Amino acid sequence: MRKDDTTGEYVIANVEARAALRADELPMDSDAFAGFYQRSAPALRAYLVRVSGNHALADDLTQESYLRFLCATWPEGGEVNYRRYLFRIATNLLRDHWKRRKETYLEDVPEAFLAARDTLTDLDSHSLLGPAMAQMRPRDRQLLWLAHAEGYSHREIAEITGLGAASIRLLLFRARHKMARLLRKQMATDRRPA
Amino acid sequence: MLRSCAYEKEVMEALKAGHWPEGCAPELRAHVESCATCSDFVLLTQAFQSAKSESVQEAPTGSPGLLWWRAQLRRRNAVTERVSRPITIAQTFAWIVTSVVGVILIASQYGDRVRWASWWAGLEPAKLLHFLSGSLVKPDGNLLLIIPGLGVLALLSGIVVYLASEKS
Repeated sequence: MRKDDTTGEYVIANVEARAALRADELPMDSDAFAGFYQRSAPALRAYLVRVSGNHALADDLTQESYLRFLCATWPEGGEVNYRRYLFRIATNLLRDHWKRRKETYLEDVPEAFLAARDTLTDLDSHSLLGPAMAQMRPRDRQLLWLAHAEGYSHREIAEITGLGAASIRLLLFRARHKMARLLRKQMATDRRPA
Repeated sequence: MLRSCAYEKEVMEALKAGHWPEGCAPELRAHVESCATCSDFVLLTQAFQSAKSESVQEAPTGSPGLLWWRAQLRRRNAVTERVSRPITIAQTFAWIVTSVVGVILIASQYGDRVRWASWWAGLEPAKLLHFLSGSLVKPDGNLLLIIPGLGVLALLSGIVVYLASEKS
């Protein structure tokens, strides 16, 4: 395409050149991204499924997380930091979804309301975790999953959720205590002869 | 009350490395049995790890190639929007300036007691030709200077805003 074109083609060429320039700035090409996706997407989707209790929503948010990730400025430090950044995007998307849906803050949503509406208990009715997770607040589900399933430290969870590291310690302590109580209760019920 | 245990880190590392329970010292196992904080930690980590390994079996929908392509498209749209934003701003500014100039002109003409209605009613082709030729031959100094002057001002303002927003 010539530069002296009088049509809008020159503008389009200019736009494409800029977009291509930004694409070149990405630290991985499409093949490398495919590999990264295969390694990280199952864990991200598992997080979204368990926290939201909704498979369709988890699928949508997983895709949107990757789209936003690809369009954003990537953090330094390689795949470990990319993963953490992805979880951060997904956490924000989930929070936005709840805010839009309930027109209230995630922390204020009563767990009973969400538990009644979501399908967490249907996810794995034979498993120990599903019924107990359904009785937790969504934020507690997030914190517990990030700490115990993903193995993130308090500082990393603070980075992902946008909460203070000191608050994470306290919130996680309370959530862990409540969850353990629910799991033990569940185990006792399961052991009881019918 | 927030209570932490001195063995918590050790238990966490053993769980992370997959050494729990067989690969751990008997003292640590005995401690976990007697410590509420550590036993909660072990119970939860085992339950969540098991749930995670169950959940990751389901493959996520959507292909990475399609996501890559959609992201490229979204990036290009963002760039296009960014490029066209200064033009839109300049265009809007030029429209506003032109409208303001028009309003000022009408107000000034009204102030000079020009009777538009009677002028319009008495308008005939011959008079119109006479008016136009007369105006061009004997221009009203004020109008012929003000109108193009304001037009040039509006145009230059638009260009200045465009250049300024393009630079930023």
